[in-house]
Amino acid sequence: MTLFLNIAVDGIAYGMILFMISVGLSVTMGLMRVVNLAHGGFALLGGTFAHWFGQELGLPFWPAALLAIVATIAVSLPLERLIYRRIYGFGDLQQVLATIGLTFLMIASVNLWQGSSLLSIPLPDSLKQSVDLGFRTLPVHRLVVIAAGLVSILGLWLLLDRTLFGIRLRAAVDNRGTASALGIDTDWIFMAAFGLGAGLAALGGILGAEILPIDAYYPVRYMVLFLIVVAVGGMGSISGSFVAALGLGTLETATRYLVPDYATIVFFTFVIILLALRPQGLLGKAHA
Amino acid sequence: MKSWGPPLLLLILAVVLYFALPFNLAFLTRILIMVVLVLSLDLVLGYAGIATLGQAALYGAGAYAAGLFAIHVWADPVAGLFVGAGAGAMLAFVSGLVLMRTQGLTLIMLSIAVASICLEIANKARDVTGGADGLRGIRMEPVLGLFAFDFIGKTGFWYALAVVAVVFVVLALLSRAPLGLSLRGIHESPERMAAIGVSVYWRRITAYTIGGGIAGIAGALSAQITQLVSLESFSFTLSAEALIMLILGGTGRLYGAVLGTLIFMFVHHWAAANDPFNWLFVIGALVLAVVFFLPKGVISAPPAITRLLKGGRHAGS
Amino acid sequence: MNRFISAALLAAISTAVSGAAFGDTIKVGVIAPFSGPFAIYGKQYQEAIETYVAQNGSSAGEHEIEFIYKDVGGPNPDQSRSLAQELLIRDQVDYLAGFTFTPNALAVAPLIEQSQTPTVIFNAATSSINKESDFYLRTSYTLWQVSAPLAEWAYDQGMQTAATTVTDYGPGIDAENAFKAAFEAKGGKVVDAIRMPLSTTDFTPFIQRVRDAAPDAVFTFLPGGPPTFTYTKTYNENGLADAGIKFLGTAETEEVNLQGLGDDAIGLTTAYHYSGDHDSEANAAFKSKLNELFPDAVANWASVGAYDGTHLIYQMVEAAGSDGPAAVQSALGLEWESPRGPVSMDPEARTLVQNVYIREVERDAQTGELVNREQGIIATVGDLGWTQ
Repeated sequence: MTLFLNIAVDGIAYGMILFMISVGLSVTMGLMRVVNLAHGGFALLGGTFAHWFGQELGLPFWPAALLAIVATIAVSLPLERLIYRRIYGFGDLQQVLATIGLTFLMIASVNLWQGSSLLSIPLPDSLKQSVDLGFRTLPVHRLVVIAAGLVSILGLWLLLDRTLFGIRLRAAVDNRGTASALGIDTDWIFMAAFGLGAGLAALGGILGAEILPIDAYYPVRYMVLFLIVVAVGGMGSISGSFVAALGLGTLETATRYLVPDYATIVFFTFVIILLALRPQGLLGKAHA
Repeated sequence: MKSWGPPLLLLILAVVLYFALPFNLAFLTRILIMVVLVLSLDLVLGYAGIATLGQAALYGAGAYAAGLFAIHVWADPVAGLFVGAGAGAMLAFVSGLVLMRTQGLTLIMLSIAVASICLEIANKARDVTGGADGLRGIRMEPVLGLFAFDFIGKTGFWYALAVVAVVFVVLALLSRAPLGLSLRGIHESPERMAAIGVSVYWRRITAYTIGGGIAGIAGALSAQITQLVSLESFSFTLSAEALIMLILGGTGRLYGAVLGTLIFMFVHHWAAANDPFNWLFVIGALVLAVVFFLPKGVISAPPAITRLLKGGRHAGS
Repeated sequence: MNRFISAALLAAISTAVSGAAFGDTIKVGVIAPFSGPFAIYGKQYQEAIETYVAQNGSSAGEHEIEFIYKDVGGPNPDQSRSLAQELLIRDQVDYLAGFTFTPNALAVAPLIEQSQTPTVIFNAATSSINKESDFYLRTSYTLWQVSAPLAEWAYDQGMQTAATTVTDYGPGIDAENAFKAAFEAKGGKVVDAIRMPLSTTDFTPFIQRVRDAAPDAVFTFLPGGPPTFTYTKTYNENGLADAGIKFLGTAETEEVNLQGLGDDAIGLTTAYHYSGDHDSEANAAFKSKLNELFPDAVANWASVGAYDGTHLIYQMVEAAGSDGPAAVQSALGLEWESPRGPVSMDPEARTLVQNVYIREVERDAQTGELVNREQGIIATVGDLGWTQ
């Protein structure tokens, strides 16, 4: 029974981290349909800025995190204008190449600026403590990640389903020409949505840093992890990513409790079976 | 079938490089091996339109199979190539049964998952594969019983070049054969091909299996020449690099695969030798420049050459 | 210049460009990662070599010594071998050095055997590498060398049960075997031996399992970098230290990433052959020169491995010049005072015989930095894994 509870608690806590580090990708790649392999690059920028503000300038955690997200968005907007705007219309492969090139430049920049060692983001004491769950303890920062995950999914749902911005974004993605003809400023919509994706990537990078520590090669090291959440969730579905992240987190945690020696093989076998049965992902929409 | 010029040019280029860089034969041989791998990806991705990020799984299968074959059965290089090809093709066929039912991001993820499982199996089976230390003890007999592998790497170079030439010719013939044409048709419009009675699924499996065989040959070559196989042959980085080289050169054209590999490897070699700490700046900028200025790959650069290379192909693709 | 290669070259390349030997300069080819996620190793090696050269001059005996650096990028035996070929043939080096990863070191075995090139391994820690060629010499350590004495020490301190959590790949399994064998030989009991997948990012399940088993200590082996960072955080956050389960490790608290671990690292116990904090004249001289040349440099095991490796190469060059077999012969049994303490080259295993220290991480009162404070020497041993 304790084992079952352990798997549930750790699985959800880890799943929420997976969700937070990939939610930005479900916005840019899932909603905006651009194969954004540079997602991890924006998470890296967020983490690096947070390290710089927190460790080197000595700001407290929350202001440092907030400034880091703002800084990442500030970097992402010109990049959207200069690079992404030109590749929205390109084929998948060109998008892969362009965003990988961009990722390389981001890695090289962080490497040059901060070196290649680990960039820690100091947590406040309040987040370092543990909460007693009765049968065991759980670190506070994991609770914060769970809360952040819930707020993000709720906020995105409200934003995309309940506001004019969300309606216009979906219209612009589905048919950019018609949307512009109807008087929607698609340039602005895309830029805002991209900034949102980059900001979420930065937030995920910072909050996930306790488990996936930041260093210059972060984007390459965890690329598979981001992609797998979006693929299993289904393209274009934020709630799919949410379900996938929790499911994958629980699956991975369970394999590590139950069959640690074969955890990787069992985990990927499950992923293959799942995707073979549901090629569009858990909640993905079939489209030609 | 009109132009034998470009392949001849490439062959001459290889010979010129051999004499121009006599001290870098090992490096040139690594390029040749990479060319085989990227060609295999070109068949799978460029011709059949199967986007994968797991080509390393097939490469690694060929490498381990050829290595183990050389150690335990027979150290003949050419026989080893067939074993590598067989292992790559077999893995491609079996995994293809599942993979080819899907496409897009799902297919990419599945191919990554297959490579990850292969890596983990090779890591766990330490007694057989040497695990993270690598599979050691590969000592090859002379090629065809005549040419022993030498210290400088001359035999290795000519051997690899011969394999590249054979693979290239086979692929060139294949792309003009009915299978090649129907693959191109599937790439352009699966619905239309299905409508005229072609089994898209089985054609894709066939292409993936042949591609797997060729990737297996690349792996086998690397095992024989390095005399060691490591877990890195299954790595995501290798798959990703092969993909970058292919897109850089231009997909769907064999010359694109060759050119992309040459450019990437030379730039990497040069940049890493001069400033390893910052070489990613160079490669990142190069990749971005190609996307923006030559979206169809470097192969599309001089239009005159492009027209020449288009030789036997139909317009409008 | 090496006779074997000159013959091969003459036979092979009639158009040879300018390969002529330079008077009496002995060249050393260093193969290490200078790019990618492991670039820090190459940087540490190069800084240590340049520090040694600054202290001792660029000549040994009558020979000038020149170092040539080559970037291998990461674990990549194909690249390692092709670089070694390039170094031996084009640059005509007489010694090879570097090698962070075992496959990279193993890949050059046929080459150094054929060309009789002494090859000094600065890092790769798998015992059996040295069995592949008599020309390998190692100035780092092996996993058995530090893990087994740690197990014995732990038992002597009164820890009777332990769990092991190692990363599931060659080095991790070596460490597990060494710890288990030594701990159980003493009479201790390993209650749980967990192998954690290489790709692990969240260590909570393993840590939680150890906590539930409640042993006296948990022994761990992790690859450097992110896994170490996450593991030590998870160890602390799940209250293992408070529950009296002592952390026992080896390279986890190495100096380059130690400050990044933060206060969570305080109290971690490790057994290792080098502490940046080691109190000796040799170490002080090494560190002060290193920091004079490279103000941001941090001395760790990788730098001391390269520093001692450079010393060994200087000794071999002085004794035998470019004669490979004689050079190796002259190195066997050699003794010197290293920044890590007194060392000698084991004539059989060709790995250093050295002190293994027990250390605990604490915050230095003067500098405010985290340091590995040595608590004492627990063994003076050669490669215990050689006969396994």
